[in-house]
Amino acid sequence: MANAFSLYAPRPSGLHRLHPLTMLAVVGFCLVAGLALPGPWVPYLVFLFVILPLAAWGQVLPNLLSSALKIALPFAISVFIIQGLFWTGGTPIAHLGPLSFKSEGLLFAAQSTGRILAVVGAFLLLSLTVRPDTLMIALDQRGAPKALTYIVLATIQIAPRFQAKANTILDAQRARGLETEGGIGRRVRALLPLVVPLVLGSIIDIEERAMSLEARAFSREGKKTSLLVLPDSAAQKAARVALLLAMAAAVAIGIWLRRAS
Amino acid sequence: MKRSFNTLTLALIPVAIAINIAIGQIIVLLKLPIYLDSIGTVLVGMLAGPLAGLITGALSNLIWGLSGLNPTYTPFFYVAAVIGLLAGIFTRIGWARRIWMWALGGLITGVVAAIISAPTSAIVFGGVTGAGTDLIVAALRASGAGIMQATFGQGIVSDPVDKLATFLVVFLIVLALPLRLRVRFPNAEHLPK
Repeated sequence: MANAFSLYAPRPSGLHRLHPLTMLAVVGFCLVAGLALPGPWVPYLVFLFVILPLAAWGQVLPNLLSSALKIALPFAISVFIIQGLFWTGGTPIAHLGPLSFKSEGLLFAAQSTGRILAVVGAFLLLSLTVRPDTLMIALDQRGAPKALTYIVLATIQIAPRFQAKANTILDAQRARGLETEGGIGRRVRALLPLVVPLVLGSIIDIEERAMSLEARAFSREGKKTSLLVLPDSAAQKAARVALLLAMAAAVAIGIWLRRAS
Repeated sequence: MKRSFNTLTLALIPVAIAINIAIGQIIVLLKLPIYLDSIGTVLVGMLAGPLAGLITGALSNLIWGLSGLNPTYTPFFYVAAVIGLLAGIFTRIGWARRIWMWALGGLITGVVAAIISAPTSAIVFGGVTGAGTDLIVAALRASGAGIMQATFGQGIVSDPVDKLATFLVVFLIVLALPLRLRVRFPNAEHLPK
């Protein structure tokens, strides 16, 4: 099921063999630790000493680094310029014409960049190493509604086809003389002839989808057999509990340290 | 819950999420200064009610983000959920019958989205979006606004316009839907004639 609409990178690594819920707990821990603990450098520590080693273990380090940097860079540039230059009443440390970089603003920008890296890195680690269908089946086995599994997996299958369809409509309308370049007014006018055929065509399809769901006993109650078996172990169960406790501890320590300061 | 969630609604939701994503990308291709990435969400809210809209919005951002293609969308999943919820509520109270009431609903949704997205934007992303609207943030910071105010200022300028456009596009789409299909959705009685 690895297709265009997922970054999932199959690798013969131990990380890939972990139960999806264990990976979910790891990612949850990275997010909570990166955001809840105070101090500008904690998110960097999470990124450098948790996310990157795990990515290396999962043999996806180059993929993770290139995607994370590509996403974080525009934010980092923006936040350093805006918060560094326009910080109200900070201590100026470097002058740039009439403006100056303030140390407080730069510190804030460094902290924000760290948070972006930690958040984006954690999500990318999950996308690169967990197959979406195994994650949904794991949630389904823990009692998540079947409708949720259907929505997520159907979306992952439909989305690439839709993007192709959108491009076909774009080409077709251009061939009929629709102008998609030029002034803003012209581009806005191009919007409806592109959006309406895409949406109408697909909504009319859904009746058929609904019928095929019913024909396959989707709304039937009771247990269903899955072809995918997810290996789990006592050690992983213990690790998940430990990670949940660590998350709670990180939140508590974060609150306590902020109170104290 | 049972009544608002028939199989037709269930089949609609993944299609709506794919619509959000595909149109979000058309907008990038056309280089328009809006997002229009919640057309599917508002459509589900309008046709199938607040709960279905909420689920569509939340899952749109979670799936889009966790696919690894757009991870910065993930933390804003609750904003998308509220957009779908509001579209559903406005339809239930009869605002979808007339286009100007529906437009008002779009503006209100935009204001709410700006308010509730500002804290996440400020805390996780340092108040910036990495896009052109950051000029607004810069101007507000330069004139002495705090990080949260500047972020909210950016949202209050761009979100209502975006949601107004989204609501109007959805209104046109629903008008163009075949009646035979329209009557089968839970909100059929509240839709424009």
